[in-house]
Amino acid sequence: MSFLALSRSSIRQAFSPCLARGYAAKSSNTERVLNVSAKDTSAAEEKTLSSCPPGTILEGLNYLKGQPPVIALPDDEYPPWLWDLMKPKVYADDGPGGKAEKKRLRRENQQRIKDQNFMKTQ
Amino acid sequence: MSKALKAKDQLRILIPAGKAAPTPPVGPALGARGVKSMDFCKEFNARTAHIEHGVPTPTLITVEPDRTFSFITKTPPTTYLLKKTAGIEKGTGRPGHEVTGTISLKHVYEVAKIKAKDAHLKHLKLESIASTVVGTAKSLGLQVVP
Repeated sequence: MSFLALSRSSIRQAFSPCLARGYAAKSSNTERVLNVSAKDTSAAEEKTLSSCPPGTILEGLNYLKGQPPVIALPDDEYPPWLWDLMKPKVYADDGPGGKAEKKRLRRENQQRIKDQNFMKTQ
Repeated sequence: MSKALKAKDQLRILIPAGKAAPTPPVGPALGARGVKSMDFCKEFNARTAHIEHGVPTPTLITVEPDRTFSFITKTPPTTYLLKKTAGIEKGTGRPGHEVTGTISLKHVYEVAKIKAKDAHLKHLKLESIASTVVGTAKSLGLQVVP
């Protein structure tokens, strides 16, 4: 009787994974999911500045004989102005007659001339 | 043949490193100014021995009135470096409308570092040189992404 009970319970354990062993496996699964999501958020928080991952080989730039290939470095080893190169240049407002105002007026005048020239073709 | 040059003559020419030969375009250009092209080629190849073969090297050759010459070599053209990095053969015929490839700001930085070695650029900030490289990339049709 006890033997039968034992065998039955053992069979039950073998066939239904959602028992003590299965629970452990389940919790490890959820743990894995939690860990992965935590890593994702931390990576997003790190904010990779560049689309070029460190360690990429930049080919063609080793034009000297016997020069080792140029490798991309981690993002923080590049100067900070590099990441603002593609953004439009912002000039600090120096008040009337300052550099910022001159640049703005020049741009506006040039655009006005272009618009007038375009309208003359219509 | 024996006419002396009035003032020193300057000649700008693009020569593949280590491959200067008396043949055109180098030969006639130098010969017209009374310079023995063989001498120039030997000296040029010796001076560019540390550069990979075939890399176009802009040179400025100054010919004195007494037919002696001196020359300066510069870093390869920015377009050449960008095309090699981006892996393209030719730039686009319609910049701004066609995109030939993509390049990262890290590539731009490395190209600017190479160009900064030039004597005529050493008074500029690396940031300024990098923005000129970005401008050249645009004219090739390369898209610059961070």
